[in-house]
Amino acid sequence: MIWSIAWKNVWRNRKRSLIVITAVLLGTTAGVFTSGLMKGWVEQRLRSAVYTEQGHLKIYNPEFLNNEEINNIIPQSSNIEEYLQNDKRIKAFSHRVKLMSMASTSRGNTALMLQGIDVEKEKQVSDLYKFILPNAGSYFADGGSYPIIISDKTAEQLRIKNYTMKAETFDSLRNAGIPASVSEKLKIIENERFNTENLFKKRLSELLSHKEVKKYGAEILKAAKHYRLNSKVVFTFTDKSDELISQAFKVCGVFKTSNTMFDQMNAYVLQSDLAPIAGLTASEYHETGILLNDGTLLEKVKSDIGNTFPDINVLSWKELAPDAAMTNDYMGMYYYIIMGFILFALAFGIINTMMMSILERTKELGMLMAIGMNKTRVFSMIMLETIFLTLVGAVIGMLLGWLSVVITGHTGLDFSSVGEGFEAMGWAAIVYPEIDASFFFGVTLMVVATGILSSILPARKALKLNPVEAIRIDN
Amino acid sequence: MNVIEIKDLVKIYSNNVMEVTAVDNVNLTIEKGEFTAIVGPSGSGKTTLLNMIGGLDQATSGQILVDGVDVSTLNSKQLVDFRLHNIGFVFQSYNLIPVLTASENVSFIMEMQGLDKATIQSRTTEILTEVGLGDRMESRPNQMSGGQQQRVAVARAMASRPKFIIADEPTANLDSKTTEKLLDIMEELNEKENITFLFSTHDQRVVNKARRIIVLEDGKIVKDEKVR
Ligand SMILES: Nc1ncnc2c1ncn2[C@@H]1O[C@H](COP(=O)(O)OP(=O)(O)OP(=O)(O)O)[C@@H](O)[C@H]1O
Ligand SMILES: [Mg+2]
Repeated sequence: MIWSIAWKNVWRNRKRSLIVITAVLLGTTAGVFTSGLMKGWVEQRLRSAVYTEQGHLKIYNPEFLNNEEINNIIPQSSNIEEYLQNDKRIKAFSHRVKLMSMASTSRGNTALMLQGIDVEKEKQVSDLYKFILPNAGSYFADGGSYPIIISDKTAEQLRIKNYTMKAETFDSLRNAGIPASVSEKLKIIENERFNTENLFKKRLSELLSHKEVKKYGAEILKAAKHYRLNSKVVFTFTDKSDELISQAFKVCGVFKTSNTMFDQMNAYVLQSDLAPIAGLTASEYHETGILLNDGTLLEKVKSDIGNTFPDINVLSWKELAPDAAMTNDYMGMYYYIIMGFILFALAFGIINTMMMSILERTKELGMLMAIGMNKTRVFSMIMLETIFLTLVGAVIGMLLGWLSVVITGHTGLDFSSVGEGFEAMGWAAIVYPEIDASFFFGVTLMVVATGILSSILPARKALKLNPVEAIRIDN
Repeated sequence: MNVIEIKDLVKIYSNNVMEVTAVDNVNLTIEKGEFTAIVGPSGSGKTTLLNMIGGLDQATSGQILVDGVDVSTLNSKQLVDFRLHNIGFVFQSYNLIPVLTASENVSFIMEMQGLDKATIQSRTTEILTEVGLGDRMESRPNQMSGGQQQRVAVARAMASRPKFIIADEPTANLDSKTTEKLLDIMEELNEKENITFLFSTHDQRVVNKARRIIVLEDGKIVKDEKVR
C-alpha cells in the first residue's frame, strides 16, 4: 500500500507537482533530443568515414605510407586478389592507383591526390557516387574521354565554379516560391559572374535586407551555383620512369561530402586512363580499399590479412580516421553526461517541492509514526513519492524526445537556415538525429537514481520529526 | 489481569528558565476491559501522561509496564513496533491519511502488521460496519463528517487488535450529537470485544459514560473512582 499512498501523494498538490513534472518533462525531452542530435551527427561522421572515405580496411605497401611514390606499389597483388576474393567476411574491395599531382586550369591550381579507380568495383566499396551534387554532372556516366570527378571545393579552387544569376536561375527561384520583390532586387546582377561563394554572398547582402538573406539566401545560392562541366583540368605528375607527365582530364562530375578535408584532397579518374599514362600495368596499384560484411570483425580480418601477407600494411578506418574512431569510442558517455547535467539541475526543484510537501504534512507524518509506521516505511514512502514525481515527467519527456528524434531523423534537420546569415550554410548541415533503445534504459536508471538521491533530504527531514511535537494540538 | 501498571511516574519539562513537573509521582493500574476517563483542567498533565503510556514520550523517572513489558527499556526502533502491535491511538484530529479511503486507512495498519490480505479485508469490513460506516468504506476523509472520521480512527485503532486504546480528547472537535454517537460506539466495542479504552476529556457528557474516572490536577491524581 505504500506504493499506492506514495503515488496518490504525488497528486495531492496537483498544481505544484505539475510544475515539477513539466520541468522534468521539458528537461528530459531536451536531453533526449540533444543526445539524438549529437548521435545522429556522430553516426553520420562515422558512416561517412567508413562507407565514403575509407572503407573498413586499406592495404598498402609499407613504403607508400612513408613516401607516396609511384613505385611503392602493393606487392604480391595476384595472391592478395585471390585471398580477398575467397574470404567470405569481405563484402567488396577496390584497387586504386594513387598519384600526387598538381592540377591546374587557366585560372587556378591546386595539389590533388589523383586516384585511378575501377568504377564498378569502387562503387561497391565507397558510396561517394551518391554525393554528386544536383546539376553537377554524374559519376562517370556520360562517356567522354579522360573523365574526372572533382569536389566542389576543388572546383572553387580551380575557378570552374561560379555564381551567376542567369535567366533560368530566376525561373527556378520563382518555382521555389521566392517572392518577386526579392528577385527584382537581383535583376541588377543578372549574368554577372561571381567566382567565389564569398563574393556572391557579399553582393547579395548588399542588395537584400538581412532578413531576406537569412530567409532566401540558401535557396538563391543553390540556384545561382554553376559548374563549368567538361572544362579541362591539366594534371602534372611523375610517371614510373621519373618523367614529368602532363595530362588533361575533363570534369564529368562534382561531389561534396561533409568532410571538406577529404574533398579538398581527392580527385577520381579511371584506372584504365591513368595507369597507361603513368607507365603502370593493370595489376599495379597503391591502395586497396576493403568493405566488410560485419564491421565488428574489423580487427580479426585485419590481423588475418596481415599475418597472411607480412610484407604489406593493413590499416583500419580507426587508424585512418582517428577523429571519427575517437568520437565513436567516447561519444556514448557524453550523452549520459548531458542527461546528468539536466537531471542535476532538476534535482533542486524536486527537492524543494518534496521539502514543501513534507512540511505541509507534519501532523500527518507525526500521526503515522505515532501509530507505528517505522522509519524504513516512512523513508520508502517519501522515496517512492519522489521517484514517481520524477518519473512521470521523465517518461513523457523520453517519449516526446524519442518522437522528435524519430520525426527529425526522418526529415533531417537543416541547420543552414538558422545561425547568422550564411555562416552555417552548406549541404552537410543537414543532420539526421538517431537514438538507441539502450539509451532510454540508461536514462530511466538515471532518473530513478535522481529520484532516490533527491528524496534523501526530504526523507531525513521527515524522519527527524518527533511524533509528540508533530501531533501536539495547537491548531 | 493488569494491562497497564504505572509506578512512581514523573515527567519534568525543563528549559533554561524553569522546570515544569507535568506528571508528578503517578501510580496507576488499568485492568483489561476498563473504560476509563482521565479528566482535569487544562495543563493538568493528561496528554503528557497518555503520551508516556502510549510509548510516544519518555518518562523522567518511574516505570510503565504494558502487559508486563517495561516500556522504558525499549529503544526507539523497538518502540515503534511495540506501538504498532500493542497500542491503538485515536487523536483529536489528523487521524487519517487524506488520500486513502476509510477502508484503506483501516487496512493500512494491518498491512504494516503483516497480516494476510484475506484477513485484512474481512476485518476491515467487519470493523467499519461495527462503527456504523459499512456504507462509507470507499469514502475519503474529506467526504466524511468529523464524527465519521473519528469513527474511522476508532476502527483503525481496533483493527490492529491492540492491548488497549488511548484516545486523547477524541471528541474535542465534535458537536454533542456526534460526541454521543462516538462514545456509544466506543462503549459498545468495549462491552462486546472487551477492548480496554483510556481516554482524556474535558466534556462532562463524555465523563458520564466512563466507568472509572481519574482526576488529575497539577500532574497528580487527586481522585480515582469506579462509577456505575
Ligand atoms: N513540550 C513541552 N515543553 C514544556 N512544557 C510542556 C510541554 N508539553 C507540555 N508541557 C507542560 O506540561 C503541563 C501539562 O501539559 P499537558 O499538555 O499534558 O496538559 P493537558 O492536561 O493535556 O492540557 P489540555 O487539557 O490543555 O490538553 C503543562 O503545564 C504544559 O505547559
Ligand atoms: Mg491535552
